[in-house]
Amino acid sequence: MSDEREERDDSAAGRFGAHTYQRAQGENNVSISDATVAVSDELAARDDMIVCRDVDKWFGDFQALSGITATIKEQEIVVVLGPSGSGKSTWIRCINRLEAHQNGQIIVDGIELTNDLRNIEKIRSEVGMVFQQFNLFPHLTVVDNITLAPIWVRKKSRPEAEELAASLLERVGIPEQAEKFPGQLSGGQQQRVAIARALAMEPRVMLFDEPTSALDPEMIKEVLDVMEELARSGMTMMVVTHEMGFAREVADRVIFMEGGEIVEVGTPHHFFTDPTEERTKLFLSQVL
Amino acid sequence: MSDPLQVDRGSSLSAAGARPPFYRDATVVKWLSQVLTLALVLFALIFLASQGRSNLEAKDIETGYDFLGTALGSDLGSGIDTNPNTSGRALWVGMVNTIRLSFGGIIAATVLGVLVGVGRLSRNWIVSRASSVFVETLRNIPLLVQIILIFVVIASLPRVTIDQGPIPGWLHISNKGVSIPRVFVADGFYQWLIFLAIGAAIGWIVMRQRNRVHDETGRATYPVLSFGAVVGVFGVAGWFLHPIFGWVGAIFDFGASVIDALTPGIVQVIISVVAVAAAILWIRRFLASHRTPAGLTKLVDDDWFRIIFAAAGAVLVILFVTLGWPGLSSWIINSGRDLFEVLGDKFGDGRTGPPIDAMRPDIEQVGNFPNYGPSGLNLIQGLAAVYFGVVLYTAAFIAEVVRGGILAVPKGQSEAAQAVGLRRSTMLRRVVLPQAFRVILPPLGNQYLNLTKNTSLAIAIGYSDVVQVGQTVYNQTGKTLEVVSIWMLFYLACSLTISVVVNFFNVRMRIVER
Repeated sequence: MSDEREERDDSAAGRFGAHTYQRAQGENNVSISDATVAVSDELAARDDMIVCRDVDKWFGDFQALSGITATIKEQEIVVVLGPSGSGKSTWIRCINRLEAHQNGQIIVDGIELTNDLRNIEKIRSEVGMVFQQFNLFPHLTVVDNITLAPIWVRKKSRPEAEELAASLLERVGIPEQAEKFPGQLSGGQQQRVAIARALAMEPRVMLFDEPTSALDPEMIKEVLDVMEELARSGMTMMVVTHEMGFAREVADRVIFMEGGEIVEVGTPHHFFTDPTEERTKLFLSQVL
Repeated sequence: MSDPLQVDRGSSLSAAGARPPFYRDATVVKWLSQVLTLALVLFALIFLASQGRSNLEAKDIETGYDFLGTALGSDLGSGIDTNPNTSGRALWVGMVNTIRLSFGGIIAATVLGVLVGVGRLSRNWIVSRASSVFVETLRNIPLLVQIILIFVVIASLPRVTIDQGPIPGWLHISNKGVSIPRVFVADGFYQWLIFLAIGAAIGWIVMRQRNRVHDETGRATYPVLSFGAVVGVFGVAGWFLHPIFGWVGAIFDFGASVIDALTPGIVQVIISVVAVAAAILWIRRFLASHRTPAGLTKLVDDDWFRIIFAAAGAVLVILFVTLGWPGLSSWIINSGRDLFEVLGDKFGDGRTGPPIDAMRPDIEQVGNFPNYGPSGLNLIQGLAAVYFGVVLYTAAFIAEVVRGGILAVPKGQSEAAQAVGLRRSTMLRRVVLPQAFRVILPPLGNQYLNLTKNTSLAIAIGYSDVVQVGQTVYNQTGKTLEVVSIWMLFYLACSLTISVVVNFFNVRMRIVER
């Protein structure tokens, strides 16, 4: 497994250098530093996991994202905050191409998201996603939910995939539910299965789209605990959430969005104690 | 100034000990309503039967099914036997025509409907528009109009002549319909079937083994392909070797002689014993499923109704075979013996010919008029009109059912499947379609039932289905009630068969919740 990972790292870095990186310099003369952390060109190739440059997205006449520019480093935990309708979910869904962006560049692990189906497939198998509504497959048992992608995408044998599923269920704390169907589990258990399902592809990045918003209050903690454990293990994570506590304690950086734009970026300490932007202050006064 | 809640609690406490009056006692009301319903239904049936009988007697109309054995004075347009010697045989030919029409129609309508339904959701603009036009046109025009339209279109084709093309001797198209080579079951077919059955059994074992290897190693093992290969090998081998199963016929001959040795009394006893045993088994299984972990069986009123129902059913069966229709047992003996004798012949010795054969179509001169000869597979005008009519019409509805089923799968399901990296084809096969199928199945069964019943519109253009033949029979014999009862029983049997098959899949597809 470690061999495989190294090999993938090399090839990803190689491709970045040869293709995407040059393109970033040559074709698009974008100013990378904005409100975001300035990215040194040299470092961009090495430990940047997600790079977005001037990403625009329209739904018909409505501009959902305008000029999103941000970089997420390897092993970084980024929490995206903002009022509803601010484009947080749209942005996170663009990163694994559930929505297609119309302008700008999105580069994940050195691979640019274009209309190239092979790139999309590759990125999707490297990026795990957890949804607000869990979206577990109701006709499959918990174990089959988790093993589906390893068997059909990674071409693992069933015993191997089931062993993996068992260890992941152990990790999210529900090993005894393996043979049940999603409909027989509580919301919190379902969301933990969804996390295990995403982890089964051994992703390099995990995207969380409001993972606790559909849960009863007493179940939110069990999901947040799993996410914290995941953060400590060194996973790169991008989390859209309304859990201010999680943002304060776990995040390395907080990105605040409104009206499809990034308004402010900073450490949780900066963000919660001393925000610079007026709109951020207004938002915080409403939610805290 | 007493608290209303307090008062309430007091009164309910005092009521708990006393028995309520009988018209408020849930147990009594339940039993009474059941008994009354049963009495009402029985009374209605007896009243209708006696009224019908006295009316028929007053008009001097004889009832009975003896006409089934009498000769029919006319030929049928098409079927397995166009010149049946009795009315019963004629009705049977009509039933076979209806069954063939429905079965072939269900298969074609399903294939076409699924294609059009998926096509309507296609991202390809032309495909989705074309599918929409297909659906909206066909489902908004009455089926009868469509059948007549197709009939008229075929009638406007060139008149049939001797040597009609397009490919004389292979494909004929004319105002009489279409004629193509006929593939038919020949001499050694039934012994060849034995080979195929053995092949299917071994193929199934091989397929399971291949599946297991796939599960254990993740290698592609092509289980379905292996199954097909095994069956294919046995099919080819059996084509030449089938006469070695000539001895199977003797087994059926022996069965025929055993059945022949039975007397009606023995058959009546056997049926009675089977009925009683079935009732006892059913009640015991039912009781077992009600046993609490402590080993106690606690029955409520509904359970007693079920038990009484089962016991009464057994008694009714016994009364029916002994007193209701004593001739039934000898009929069972005769038809059973005949069936086994036919099978003994089909599987018998000396059938060395090929299992399947084919004949080319021809056109022959009948008097002054050329017509399709019997050697081709003739899709005559009437059959073609009914067949394409019901297939196109039902396909339009099935397309909507399929589209609805796919749309009923939440968008989050395909998003989640994409997010874990599944390809589009795998996503459809493993995530979307299994869930869509669950939604599609019940309305799909309805469409199959509609198709089967709609074939009765064949009467409009004179194709000999069971309704058209039945009409001929009652015009000649005057036995309208009896023919209608046969129609009803026949369509009921067809519909129940379809329902059972669809329900079988329905139960298997159910999603477990809670």
